Amino acid sequence: MRRLLASPDFRAGFVGMLPACVGLVPFGLVCGVGAASAGASWLAALGMSAFIFSGAAQILAGQMLAGGAPVAVIVLTCFVLGLRFLMYSAAMAPHLKALPARWQQALAFLLTDQAFATAIRRFNATDDPRSGAQHFLGAGMALYLCWQVTNMIGFFAGNVIPAVWSLEFAVPLCFLALVAPLLRDMPTILAAVVAGIAVVALGGLPMKLNLIAAGVIGIAVGTIADLARERWTRR
Amino acid sequence: MDAALKLWVVILAVGLLNYLSRLSFIAVFARRSMPPLLGRALQYVPAAMLTALIVPMIAAEPAAGHAMAFNPKVAAAAIAGFVAFFTRSSLWTMGTGMAALWLLQAVS
Repeated sequence: MRRLLASPDFRAGFVGMLPACVGLVPFGLVCGVGAASAGASWLAALGMSAFIFSGAAQILAGQMLAGGAPVAVIVLTCFVLGLRFLMYSAAMAPHLKALPARWQQALAFLLTDQAFATAIRRFNATDDPRSGAQHFLGAGMALYLCWQVTNMIGFFAGNVIPAVWSLEFAVPLCFLALVAPLLRDMPTILAAVVAGIAVVALGGLPMKLNLIAAGVIGIAVGTIADLARERWTRR
Repeated sequence: MDAALKLWVVILAVGLLNYLSRLSFIAVFARRSMPPLLGRALQYVPAAMLTALIVPMIAAEPAAGHAMAFNPKVAAAAIAGFVAFFTRSSLWTMGTGMAALWLLQAVS
């Protein structure tokens, strides 16, 4: 363990993630505030950040709980939101294939949007899966620690943060940082635009069902546009 | 259902499903390749789902009689989206987005 923590790859991963961690501080604070306003105890708030470990799902679950949605709808909506992890998992799989099962299980737990974005770049740049895995572990642990600490600070000290700071705006900004760089091809742009329109148009649906409906419609439109584009270019 | 119990059920169910999704192709289906149509559809999950979350957060309900009122959050989000597109950095996106919002709220 000590040898791992001292390895240059682990350290480089940990330190390399710190700027992104700073960017995530407001998001973590808002997630903690959200857990508090959804009526969570400090232990439940810690359970959300430590076990769900996905800001988008935590915010969504908190909002839906406060809105009185049934458990099944909340879990289903969060599941669709978490489907992106399937894609990350498939992209990471070839790089982690040679590692022991324990490593795979640990690294899968740390697979988040930010960790994936840096790890996949690193894995594509190196031929040594051990080096890439240690780098990923460092980056993932930096994110995990930062996430727990900021969530807890948000939970306990959230009411001290002045409302004029509009800290809640950090949440859409965090998602924008993930989405905007993806908007480089027509099917993805269509998926985003259609989902954005649908979520407003379906705003009348109860239990925040407009979120999952808009997501599914956007995914379907993106997929169809992708298939159509392929057929078009093949001719 | 008791509110605290409901929250814990959500935490455990969502946490478990998230972990299984993360683990899926790394360990569980490691020997299988992704079905092509599923792989194609999953590419659009982040763009569609995250946009569906973003839009209601920035498009605040317009005040009565001011349906077309200037919304500083929309403008700040547009600036932040532009920065995110070119820098791919969450730190820069967060920094410019918050700064733009504070500035626009101060002047409007």
